[in-house]
Amino acid sequence: MSRRVPSAPRATRRAQARLGIALVAPLLVMVVTFFLVPLANAVYYVFVDFNGIDPTPAFVGLDNFVELAQDPGVRSAFRNNAVWIVIGTVGPLVLGLALALLIWGVRRGSLFYRVAFFMPYVLPQVAIGVIWGWIYDPTEGWLNRALELVGLGALTTGWLGDPDTALYAVLATAVWATSGFVFIILLSALRNVDTDLIDAARLDGANAGQRLRHVIMPQIMPVFLMVTTITLVGGFAVFDIVFVMTGGGPAGATEMLGTYAYSSAFELNRISYGTTLALVITVMAIPFAVGLNRLQRRLSLQGTGA
Amino acid sequence: MSGRDSALARKRAVLGGRHAMLVVLSLLMVFPLVLTVSTALKTDADVRSNPFGLFSSFSTENIVAAWTLGSFGEYVLNSFLLSVPSTLLVVVLSTMGGYAFARLPFLGRTVLFYLVLLGLLVPFFAYMIPLYFQLRSMGLLDSLLGANLVLASTGLSFGTFFMRAFFSDLPTEIEEAARIDGASEWQIFARVMLPLVTSGAGALAVFTFLQNWNNFLVPLLYLPGGEYRPLTTGLYLFLGGRSVDIGPLAAGTLITVLPVVVLFVAMQRQVTQGFLSGAVKG
Repeated sequence: MSRRVPSAPRATRRAQARLGIALVAPLLVMVVTFFLVPLANAVYYVFVDFNGIDPTPAFVGLDNFVELAQDPGVRSAFRNNAVWIVIGTVGPLVLGLALALLIWGVRRGSLFYRVAFFMPYVLPQVAIGVIWGWIYDPTEGWLNRALELVGLGALTTGWLGDPDTALYAVLATAVWATSGFVFIILLSALRNVDTDLIDAARLDGANAGQRLRHVIMPQIMPVFLMVTTITLVGGFAVFDIVFVMTGGGPAGATEMLGTYAYSSAFELNRISYGTTLALVITVMAIPFAVGLNRLQRRLSLQGTGA
Repeated sequence: MSGRDSALARKRAVLGGRHAMLVVLSLLMVFPLVLTVSTALKTDADVRSNPFGLFSSFSTENIVAAWTLGSFGEYVLNSFLLSVPSTLLVVVLSTMGGYAFARLPFLGRTVLFYLVLLGLLVPFFAYMIPLYFQLRSMGLLDSLLGANLVLASTGLSFGTFFMRAFFSDLPTEIEEAARIDGASEWQIFARVMLPLVTSGAGALAVFTFLQNWNNFLVPLLYLPGGEYRPLTTGLYLFLGGRSVDIGPLAAGTLITVLPVVVLFVAMQRQVTQGFLSGAVKG
C-alpha cells in the first residue's frame, strides 16, 4: 500500500473521501449480501441441525463435527481427495514445466503452441467431462482403440465404469486441463530468467539436468511455489469435473469431499452436515496455502539465483 | 569454419526436434476439440456405426437437432443473459471500487479493502449452501436477477484487486494537474483517470465473461427450475441420455465450447493477462 503525503487541502480531502465512499458503496453492498452474510450463515449452520425447512433448527453443538469424524463415507472421500490433491498437483506441475521449457526460446509458431496448450484450461469443465467420456468409451473410445493398436489390448477396460481405474481416468483429464495453466505462468516466469547465467553454466560443463536444477529452478522458484499453491488449494474443492464425469461413482470410487458435501446437502437434505463438511474442506486448505506462501515470500526476499 | 557449420547444424537439428515435439504435443492437447467437431458434423447413420472415427461423413443434422430438439438455441440465449449483465456489473463496480481503494483516502479504506479481498481466499464452495436458502428467502431463486448478482459477486474480489493495481500505477501528476485546472474529484475519475485504464477493464471483461460463461455450480444450484438454463447445465442435463444420442450431444458440446474458443483465440492476450494476474495474487 503506497501512502501518499496528504498535501491536498482539507476541502479536496473531504471531496475525495465523499467520492471514495460513494464509489465503494455498491461494491460493499454486493460483497456483504452475497458473500459475508452467507459465510456467516455457514458458520451458524455448523452448530445447528438445519434440514432446509424448519426455520428454527435445534442447536446441536459440535455434533456435526463428531459425526463427520466417524462417517466412513467421509473417510473414503478423504482418501480419494488426498490422491486427487497429490496427483492433481504434481501432474500439471511436471507437465506444465516440461511444456514451458520446451517452448522457451522457440520463436516461430510459439503463439500457436501457446494457444493450443492453454486452450483446455479455458474450456467449460462440463464440456471437458463429456468429451473425455467418449475417449474413455469401453468399445468405441480412442484410448482402448489406441491400446489395441499398439498390442496392449489386454489393458482395455471401461475406464470410467471400473472402480479401479475411474479415479485415475478423471484425474488424467484434470491433469490435461490444468497443465496449460501451469505452463502459461511458468513460461512468463522463464522470460525473466537470466540467460547469461545459463550460458555460463553451460560453459562450465553443466548438463541440461544440472542447469535446470541449479540455475533455472532457483530463479523461478517463487512463481513455481505460487502456482503449486493455487493448484493444490484448488484440489481440495474439486467438484465440477468429477460431478460431470462420474458423479462420485462407480460405488464411491471417485467420491470427493466436495461431491459428498453436495449430495449430503442437496440430495439428502442434510444442510448442516454438508455445510460443515464444506467449511472443514476450506479450513483444511489454509495451512497449505499459508505455508507455501511463507516459503515463497522467503525465497523472494533472498533474491534470485542464490 | 567447418566446426562452426556443424555446431550451427546441430543447433538447427535440436530446434527441429523441439518443433516436432511441440507439434505432436499441441495436437494431443487439441485432439479432444477435433473429436468434438468431427462427431458433431457426422450424419446420424455414421454416428451410430462409427461415432468417433474422424471426419468420415459430413452433415449438419446433429447441429440442427441439438439447436431445436435439444433446446441448445435457448441455452445459448440464457448463457448470454447470465454472462453479459454479470460481467458488466463486475467491470463497473470493480472499476469504481478499484479507483477508490487506490487513490481516494477515506476512513476505513484499508479494512474495507481487506474485507473485499477475503473473497479471494474463501472459495464459493464454503458458503454456497447457505446462499441457496438466503436466495430462496429473498425471492431470488430461479431468477435471472439472482443468478446474475451471485455470478457478479463471485468475480468482484478479483476484479477490484485487478483494477486497483491499474489505478495505483498511474502517476499522481496527472491527477494534480487536473485538480489545478479546476476539475472536480468526480471529473478527475470519470474524464481523466478512467480513459487510462480501458485496456485493463477490457481484459477484466473478457476474463470475467469466460468465467461466468463456464460457471456450472451457480446455475446448477440457483436456477433449479430450468427456465433460464444456460449451456453448462443444459449440456449436463443432456448428458443423461449419453449412450443414446452421441450426435446431438457432440453438437451441443460444440455449441457450448465454440464461443469460448473463438473469444479465447481472438483475445488471447487479454485472457492470458487476466489469468496471470489472477495467479500473482496467490
